[in-house]
Amino acid sequence: MTNKLFILVICAAVGTAAGFIVMKTYKRKHAYLVGVCDMIGELKRNISYRNDSAASILGAFDTESTQLKKNIGEYIAYTEAKDGKLDISRGFLSSGDHAKVKELFGALGTSDGASQMERLNSFSKLFEDMRDKAGEKSDKYGALSVKLGFLFGLGVGVLFL
Amino acid sequence: MEEFFKLIPDKLAEVIISRLAFDKINELRIRNARPVVIGYDGVYYYLGKTGLMKDAAAAFVSSDNEAERIVMRACERSLYTVTDTLRRGYVSVSGGIRIGVCGNVVVGSGGTLALKNFSSVNIRLPHQVKGCAAGVYARLASAGLCNVLLISPPGAGKTTVLRDLCRLISDRGANVLLCDERYEIASCRDGVATLDVGACTDVMSGMDKREVFEIAIASMRPDVIVTDELFGRDIDALSKAVHCGVYVIATVHARDVADFKAKAEYAEIISNNIFSQYVEIADSPTRSVRVIGATA
Repeated sequence: MTNKLFILVICAAVGTAAGFIVMKTYKRKHAYLVGVCDMIGELKRNISYRNDSAASILGAFDTESTQLKKNIGEYIAYTEAKDGKLDISRGFLSSGDHAKVKELFGALGTSDGASQMERLNSFSKLFEDMRDKAGEKSDKYGALSVKLGFLFGLGVGVLFL
Repeated sequence: MEEFFKLIPDKLAEVIISRLAFDKINELRIRNARPVVIGYDGVYYYLGKTGLMKDAAAAFVSSDNEAERIVMRACERSLYTVTDTLRRGYVSVSGGIRIGVCGNVVVGSGGTLALKNFSSVNIRLPHQVKGCAAGVYARLASAGLCNVLLISPPGAGKTTVLRDLCRLISDRGANVLLCDERYEIASCRDGVATLDVGACTDVMSGMDKREVFEIAIASMRPDVIVTDELFGRDIDALSKAVHCGVYVIATVHARDVADFKAKAEYAEIISNNIFSQYVEIADSPTRSVRVIGATA
């Protein structure tokens, strides 16, 4: 009886952990997009007042997203290299999202102040939409995936009995 | 020095480091798909693998878009930071380096909108030569503070003399307002002058000198305003500043005093006797400096 109960608990725990991992992926994407939106906001604020270079603005920018930190580091390395090529790693991003992020970093510093602000405004709108959708998904499916994982694990455990 | 080497291709940097004395470099002229020219100790040479050369055939040839690469490095790949100065044909880099830029001008109803398709750059290096204006200062000091105009052709070293004169006047306690429109006199970085312009110097960087003459006089109450490269359009503001009782030390492009006096755009300066002393700086190789009273 103890063994059966143990198997049941293990299966439920594994299912919950799997659900938790799924929830984390939703949250990770949301955190990344929150960071991108904050970063664009910081760029817009700075360019309209202090007019610092994009690399120095991003160098002082802090974000919770590890992937975004890495992408910012890649951008700064590109600006510091004499003849570097912009290489923004994809990480966990989908190919579509990655292309948009690459386009954003590639557009930094390539035009005059007014055009740069226009481009940042359009990127801001795009990424805010993406962030809101990712937030909704994270709220909706994040907790659900933990619950489903638990139930699935429990179901598998019951089948073992 | 570090800023300069960050701008140029590695192959040029290697030759300069290994074969040339950095202090003697005045400027580096890079034209797309053309041989690289270097101004060295006041003389122009081509730059090649073995250093200075007179033969263009053996010189380094720039790539088709080298000028653009240099401009992008100079602005840390943020063109919007230099749009305004690019419209006026230059980019300022920390360390007092000024890059003159040529390319295609985009003209709109309000004048020059932008500069694009950069075709050539002239990287000009600042040189701080402490004491180079000591003789001029000694001559001027005997008469007390007055309005002084430094006259020389481009590249003869008037900014170097002006910087040292500014330092000498400031170190003796006069409040000097330095209008460093092109960031090349004090070369401020993060609010700190990287070149010595004196202990009592306030630096206003990047601002049009006409605005400095009109605005900063009231806010900073300077004894002396020091500024580089006067043009005809600056004369009104300059006259107002002088009438406010502020002394002005400025520079102007001309071969000599006679050449300066012959230019119509400066007629008002001469007729109103704005400057009481002229300092004539001859072109290289002599670069002799002569103080001449305006009435002479």
